[in-house]
Amino acid sequence: MASSAHDLLLRIDCTSKKVSTMKVDAALKAYVGGMGYGTKILVDEVDPAVDPLSPANKLILAVGPLTGTAAPMFAQSCIVTKSPLSGTILNCYAGGFLGAEIKFAGIDGLILEGQAPDWSLILVDDGRVSFHDAGPVMGRGTSETEAYMRASFGRDVRTLSIGRAGEKLVAMASVFTETRTFGRGGAGAVLGSKRIKGMAFRGSKGLDVVDRVAFSAAVAKNLEIIRSACAEQYNLLGMFSRVGTGAGVGLVNGKQVLATKNHLLGTWAEAAKIDGFSYAKNFYTRPVACYGCPVHCGMLHKFRKPEGGESWLRGPEYETMYSLGTALLNADPVTLAEANQVCEEYGMDTLTTGVTVALAFEMAEKGLVREPGLSLAFGDRASILELLRKIGEREGLGGILADGPKKAAERVGGGALSYAMQIKNSGFAAWMPTRMKGVALSFATSNRGACHKRAPIGAEITGQVDMDSKVGKAEMVKGIQDLVNASFTLVACRFHEFVSPHSLYVELLAAATGQTLSLDEFALLGERIWNLERLFNQGAGFTRSDDNLPDRCFEPMEGEAAGGPIISREDLSDMLDEYYALRGWTSEGVPTKATRERLGI
Amino acid sequence: MGTGFDFDYEHCTECQRCMIACSVAKEGHVFLRRSRISIVRGWPELPEIRVCRFDDCAGHPCVEACPVGAITSEGGLVLIDAETCTGCEACVGVCPSTAITMMEGIAQKCDFCGGAPECVSACGTLAITRKGA
Repeated sequence: MASSAHDLLLRIDCTSKKVSTMKVDAALKAYVGGMGYGTKILVDEVDPAVDPLSPANKLILAVGPLTGTAAPMFAQSCIVTKSPLSGTILNCYAGGFLGAEIKFAGIDGLILEGQAPDWSLILVDDGRVSFHDAGPVMGRGTSETEAYMRASFGRDVRTLSIGRAGEKLVAMASVFTETRTFGRGGAGAVLGSKRIKGMAFRGSKGLDVVDRVAFSAAVAKNLEIIRSACAEQYNLLGMFSRVGTGAGVGLVNGKQVLATKNHLLGTWAEAAKIDGFSYAKNFYTRPVACYGCPVHCGMLHKFRKPEGGESWLRGPEYETMYSLGTALLNADPVTLAEANQVCEEYGMDTLTTGVTVALAFEMAEKGLVREPGLSLAFGDRASILELLRKIGEREGLGGILADGPKKAAERVGGGALSYAMQIKNSGFAAWMPTRMKGVALSFATSNRGACHKRAPIGAEITGQVDMDSKVGKAEMVKGIQDLVNASFTLVACRFHEFVSPHSLYVELLAAATGQTLSLDEFALLGERIWNLERLFNQGAGFTRSDDNLPDRCFEPMEGEAAGGPIISREDLSDMLDEYYALRGWTSEGVPTKATRERLGI
Repeated sequence: MGTGFDFDYEHCTECQRCMIACSVAKEGHVFLRRSRISIVRGWPELPEIRVCRFDDCAGHPCVEACPVGAITSEGGLVLIDAETCTGCEACVGVCPSTAITMMEGIAQKCDFCGGAPECVSACGTLAITRKGA
């Protein structure tokens, strides 16, 4: 019996095209895998002040010790790099089958360095690396690039690729793997800066665990928990299983926190036309899963384009229903699907890109920007689709928007920054810090900017805690940030812990690899990583003043939600004080010496 | 119930739990390249499921093709005798279900797990069930 962790990474220098292996030593092993490996390596090897698009930046693609095993909901892989969008350290994730294939290739991940002299595709064939000319796919979309790699390297490879946005270093360019996306933070532009158009992986090996009996028992237990949850009508995982992540739109709308029209409104009656249930009812729908996942929250839809012809999309996901839907007052499910497709083919994060388009529409409403031939009116189909394309091409107004919402608002001026829904230039996820105070603190303190992955969304939206209260939110947010960071070392799907206890994580880890962690040590690992990130960001120039929200969050909403309570600047400041103190940081948000020593960093 | 499977392609989510279960049963650990069942994506169309059809395979061409009589069919249960197989690959090309693969020089395919296929137990959406179940 062998461990499911290979303790081996590849180091690929794109400049010289030289490849070496890196054995995971005890110091790195303490970070378990995935986000842990990525963060530790980046922090150790990259100067925080580095230009993210320079050859000195690195991109670490890492999977976890449970990736590729029979354990359910560990399909994702993780990218860590310095973000060209936010200028912070970035970790982002994609599901699908890439992660398992990387493990079957005999490695736990790789480090990309330097810059290739010419545009390249990289093939990792059972650990053997070769560079190939990307010429035939330059300028092509992500799906064509993936198809080309399968045709060139064999149908059995799993791929990642960037589209034209990545080639043109658009700040919110993402990395795609078979419609799953390393969405946030512009990892696609980092890949583009290294002149890597795509990568293909083939893994033909098996993957064992150290204790087959204990592991099988833990897997069976976990499968039972997940399948039971999926069978429940009102379990969130059950709803994801039936209609996808878009199941939640109605609930959020009902609570008057559905971010609509660039966060001016908190409710929208039209939203029901573009939620998960609507897609499932009105379009051919087939649930598709990530590797080994019984939830199958991915929904493959077919639809007919207005110009004629059938098309298909795996999605849209919940967050995209907001960013390319409600945020833009777009209630047409076909336009939304097409907008999602444009982002997919250009290789752009639907979240920050949609937020930036919403900003553009509002700037246009206020007479600050215009674009020939486009109305730039909220809800206008042609404006949505064409502006997305122009961002991907860095063309016209798109050229200004392509650097992200904060930079675009600063360039346009006229007060636009106050309603650019971003933190650290990273576009808001689909939640309203105006009302949800835990979300407000999570967004403000996120190491990657406006991030929803480590926010107490479930507790606040379901009413387990009062969303309008700031009491206890600092402790809650710290706890979630630490535990989610820890679970991203494995790399667990974010939905896994909706139903599975964290005790299962350490149980599975021990049976698969022999690496034993107590639950306290597991949480401490997350906290250690969180602080490493914070220190990196501090080195990149970030301070307490960056842990802030745009002015719009402190202003009353319009429409039906207008009378609701909103967060004040004092509320945020109080929560920040409490949060920094809990973290063992100074009032300026700097980890103290004692804290660093406690965490061993 | 006969020997064979019923497939509901619309309900296959392509999660590969059947392949995981098959390889764990046959190889002791996850080893997808050695799974006797294979799910091949065809987006936006339905997936192809590569596994022996047993009862539902017309004429069992693999049995006919094998020059050394290593493949037998008794009551629809088609089996390859690894000891007799010479690795000539004659069966691989004739299988209409692309269900036979070469592993270390020997032809391998689904053996129906002695009547209780692991892939069927592993499938959470009933996309693959025992024939007539």
